[in-house]
Amino acid sequence: MTNDEIKDLVLDIIEGIDDEADFASLDPDQPLREQLDLDSMDFLDIVMELRKRHQLQIPEQDYPNLATLNSCVTYLAPLLKDV
Amino acid sequence: MKIPVLVIGGGLSGIAAAIRIARFAPDVQILEQHSRLGGLNSYFYRNQTLFETGLHAITNYAEAGDKKAPLNRLLRQLKLRRREISFCQQLESRVEFYGHETLRFSNQFELLDSEVHSKFPQAYGPFRQLIAFIDEFDPFAPAPFRSAKTYLSELLGNRLLVDMLLCPLMFYGSSYENDMDLSQFAIMFRAIYIEGMFRPKGSIKDFLDLLTSHYKLMGGSIRTKCQVKKILHCKGQVTGVELNSGETIECDHLLSTIGSDETMALLEDAPAKSMKGDTRLGFIETIYELKRDEADSLPTDTTIIFYNKGENFNYSSPDDYIDNKSGVICFPGNFSGLPAKEKKEIRFTHLANYSKWKKLASDPEAYLAKKFATSKESRHLLEPFIGRFNHNIVFENTFTPVTIERYTSKRKGAIYGNPVKIKDGNIGYKNLFIAGTDQGFLGIIGSMLSGVSIVNQHILPKL
Repeated sequence: MTNDEIKDLVLDIIEGIDDEADFASLDPDQPLREQLDLDSMDFLDIVMELRKRHQLQIPEQDYPNLATLNSCVTYLAPLLKDV
Repeated sequence: MKIPVLVIGGGLSGIAAAIRIARFAPDVQILEQHSRLGGLNSYFYRNQTLFETGLHAITNYAEAGDKKAPLNRLLRQLKLRRREISFCQQLESRVEFYGHETLRFSNQFELLDSEVHSKFPQAYGPFRQLIAFIDEFDPFAPAPFRSAKTYLSELLGNRLLVDMLLCPLMFYGSSYENDMDLSQFAIMFRAIYIEGMFRPKGSIKDFLDLLTSHYKLMGGSIRTKCQVKKILHCKGQVTGVELNSGETIECDHLLSTIGSDETMALLEDAPAKSMKGDTRLGFIETIYELKRDEADSLPTDTTIIFYNKGENFNYSSPDDYIDNKSGVICFPGNFSGLPAKEKKEIRFTHLANYSKWKKLASDPEAYLAKKFATSKESRHLLEPFIGRFNHNIVFENTFTPVTIERYTSKRKGAIYGNPVKIKDGNIGYKNLFIAGTDQGFLGIIGSMLSGVSIVNQHILPKL
């Protein structure tokens, strides 16, 4: 996957969690949770969806790597390079 | 046979938990002992009419935009869309301590606020402090029991106000006599006074049907009339369950929503546990179905009355069959936007003594006669306050703690379960957790969130 595809993947997952999520003013370097009003329960859904769609097992200690859109790309790029 | 995840109990916490699991792992099955789902919130038919059990009102009302509200979090977690449910808000409810004071409240918190302001002017400042405290307080942080009554008495300095504020919160969710844990108090205060009450436009059956079809679409399965005889385990690890039929089902994860003691009772050879907190609060409820009568003077603008007629408010297991000095009067037809029905309904709920009713149940005739007698007593006591309706009754049905125990298997018919809650759902096994009433979140939204949060914490990360 390219970096842009990974971004789309993450945003698509978030849209599935909250169909009213507003991406227009999203800053890719700021935490997703605060900007999109996601709580820890919603956040778990991102991890679970990545597992369901791409069989990625993300250990709990790696969750902070998914904090911002850009950090998601950095973390997921090597894991999804062959997808 | 093997099913990776089993959920014991098809009440609302079990269904919510199972939906949550099915979203990511469809190999999940609900085992329900009865022919119908719903547990404490179910229904029955008499005279071709559907009667709901349990449901008076659902707490935790929230508008669509409020993303952090428990109701909206729950819908997101279950992937249910708000538009699939029509929300009918309460009209107005009140706490009525006859001979003392009345506090009206609605889904607009300003009403309760102004009631306290005008009726307890000296306590109003401290009351605002209480609101600020509840706003800041994290009731989900693990903490030892702290008495809400002591906290409130010291802050508000007015016993009547303390009792009046506690009365609805206790009747709608306390398994503890004459006090509440401060965290539980904060959760219930938000749920009832700040967020408010509603009900779906349809019946509880429609709501359960919506949840089950949603669950089945995700691939989950349900077995009704399926009673678990024991939980099979070895060295702190559950391996499966044995059903009453003798059939066994193996599993990797087991979630039990039937109560903590009720779950422990299924664990053969489990290390003996001391029976902590054995006081169970039983309830009795009478449902009256009434002919419509334009001449009756029953309230049309009131949804629920939480009343007390005693000198002091006493929320504890009564010595007699029932304690009708306090209770709840519910008018299930009085919600905004609810279509008018051919008949009216009223419900009376009081605390009741399980042991007395249990003893009487061995003599069915005396048991039935006592049910009628107590219903009549309550009617005589309450008709002067709400209006006469005796002459319009077409059907009445009373259920006692014994009825509740029979249909839900809740120990001693205690709808709010064990007074000791297990907040993290952990009862000492690697792959067995409890959710629902004895985990500590109460009410329909609370119990469903309980199922969801235990699954999130203990099952999903391990699937």
